[in-house]
Amino acid sequence: MSGKIDVTINNKKVSIKEDTWLLTALEAENIKIPVLCHHKDLTPDGSCRLCMVEIEERGKRKMVTSCNYPVRSEIKVFTDSDPVKKHRKQLGEFYLGRYPNVPIIKKVAGMCGVTKIERKPYLVDENSSACVLCGHCIRACREFAQEKILSFAGRGIKRHVAMPFEKVDPHCIGCTSCAYVCPTGAIQIVDDLNNPLDPQLIRDHGMKVNAEMATLDDQQCRMRKVGTANIVDVMDNYDLLPINNYQYGTHEEVWKIDSWMLQRKYFTQGLPDGCWKGCSMACAKTIDNFELKTGPYKGQKVTVDGPEYETAAGGSNMGLFDMDAIAEFNFYCDTYGIDTISAATTIAFVMEAFEAGIIDTSVTNGLEMCFGRSDSVLELLHRMSRGEGFAVDVGKGIRWLKNQWNKTLNLTDDQKAFLQDIGMEVKGLEVSEYVSKESLAQQLGYGMAVKGPQHDEAWLIFMDMVNNELPTYEDKAEALYYFPLWRTWFGLYGLCKLCWNDVTPADNKMSAEPQKIPDHVHNYFKFVEGMTGRKLDEAGMLEESARVHNFQRLMCLMLGKGRRNDDYMPFRGIGPVTVKEYESRSDRYDKQLKEIVGFDPEGKPVEEKLARLREYREEQYDKTLDVVYRRRGWDNNGVPTMERLRELEIDLPEIVAILEEYQKSG
Amino acid sequence: MITINNRDKLEWKPGMTIKDILDTMGYTYSLIMVTVDGKLVDDDEYKTFKVHDNASVRVIHIHHGG
Repeated sequence: MSGKIDVTINNKKVSIKEDTWLLTALEAENIKIPVLCHHKDLTPDGSCRLCMVEIEERGKRKMVTSCNYPVRSEIKVFTDSDPVKKHRKQLGEFYLGRYPNVPIIKKVAGMCGVTKIERKPYLVDENSSACVLCGHCIRACREFAQEKILSFAGRGIKRHVAMPFEKVDPHCIGCTSCAYVCPTGAIQIVDDLNNPLDPQLIRDHGMKVNAEMATLDDQQCRMRKVGTANIVDVMDNYDLLPINNYQYGTHEEVWKIDSWMLQRKYFTQGLPDGCWKGCSMACAKTIDNFELKTGPYKGQKVTVDGPEYETAAGGSNMGLFDMDAIAEFNFYCDTYGIDTISAATTIAFVMEAFEAGIIDTSVTNGLEMCFGRSDSVLELLHRMSRGEGFAVDVGKGIRWLKNQWNKTLNLTDDQKAFLQDIGMEVKGLEVSEYVSKESLAQQLGYGMAVKGPQHDEAWLIFMDMVNNELPTYEDKAEALYYFPLWRTWFGLYGLCKLCWNDVTPADNKMSAEPQKIPDHVHNYFKFVEGMTGRKLDEAGMLEESARVHNFQRLMCLMLGKGRRNDDYMPFRGIGPVTVKEYESRSDRYDKQLKEIVGFDPEGKPVEEKLARLREYREEQYDKTLDVVYRRRGWDNNGVPTMERLRELEIDLPEIVAILEEYQKSG
Repeated sequence: MITINNRDKLEWKPGMTIKDILDTMGYTYSLIMVTVDGKLVDDDEYKTFKVHDNASVRVIHIHHGG
């Protein structure tokens, strides 16, 4: 957001954003400048000297390399003056003399006014794909892959590009960035893993993402610095970070567990982890030399794999604003083979039940399960790993606990209903770490997800709640048609989601549907085409995915969890359950009651306002459910129709049998 | 009065810029696109672009994460 500066280019006045590289400004004016070491996705280097132009600043003239000259003052620029022409001619002769057959050199020399060499120099490389020492590959290795596999070796006429000690470096991750940026073809990739049909197509589109990571990530998601934990701060700022079992969405102590704290004091590793060869996002982060304070490894220094967003947010959901405690929770969950999301959400539920007096220490085997008690959380984990008492019950999850407590504790109907409201699970799976109360589309995204309330089918909070891009039922239904199918689709191919929307092309906002990030969707289609030769478009992708998604839904039905009743969120995910929760956002809820529900909240008891809000929101949920079912080609009970199965050509006897069984049972 | 995202109302003040609106609304997201009366505003102009009274401002958060 810097200011503009008036610059005169070849006697023409233009206004340029402060700190723009001069070369970029010249190119914007359609002035052709010869370059060799410059690459649009790499940090300017200025080493080839071809881009030099003359500038005049405060009456003094000088030559500067335009690629790495930031415009910060009012200057005059001359791109065709005598000193510039002379300089270019000398360089053109030098480059063409040494590399006479390399196409890019011929082109650049031509721009310098040199097309042939009168006297053959001492040092000539006749190879048409010779390395011209531009340094692209070295910078790409550092900036795309964050490695230092390549460097210049030798001096003077012996200067060349090499790996350490002139040997193949085993640390090379095979990202092929060096070949992608090489302007002469001097670097060729010879191993094509998995024998793709068109490896070049895959590389070219993968490299687009790597280039975006190198140039945009610092301003966008900071994936390379903090991974997915970058959204802890975002969620807190937008009232979406789960606090104390999703009661609230923001907390004054979040700074103790946010991404800046992780970056400053915890993360020690952030290199590409090789989960996808060649990806330079480096989203995996670790904490080295972390000294454990509890459990069987107490006192030992270990490496913690994480925390990622969901684990850190699971911490806030348990009221833990202590990164040491969250890191230790992360380590022991991993060590014991426990999912951090299910563990955190279940423990948060236990904590709220404990604080509400529904359970006490006689149930928890003496553990004080209050929000924020990291000692209790960690002790519970250790007991769970040893298979001891109450901890084993917690390990069975929220649905099991609700049923067990309803049966074994002497609960009132109100207490049972309260547990149902605050137990954040659907289809037996715990909800992931986002507050969905203010986004109807996200509530259904969670509620309808086939495997349970994970956000990897649909994550529509911003589109719906903040942007108001889905104002009608039909808008919500369309988003709940497209995004779950898109997200299911790349999962089917084993392709990662992060390079879809955790970096975004600089020009994405110019696209017709920016939320889909169409350029990145296109990349995925090209990955498939490069691998298999099969061309795909959006319609083809949706059809492929719908075949599997509908099949999954029928399997869900077969397992007893694929009907309308199985698609409801507990009310905590839809709106405020308690008086305290309502009062924490009374302005928001009162406004909604008055302006949308048509109920004047003035002077009314909170209990009455809660009831009216609940009635309205549950009705909205039901109505939207109807529209989404229709959009998906499912009946009013959430079951795919025979017509839809035929349309998708998945009306196989085994699948039809599931549907017939359902129809018989009614 | 300015309308944000066809829903929220914000009192207009003379000289109000896009950045003022983002600050007031608490929009700290890194991937935001802004339109005023349907026209896209360049990121570099958020500090200087003056919004007129009764403008319809869209602040679209391109979802990342999730």
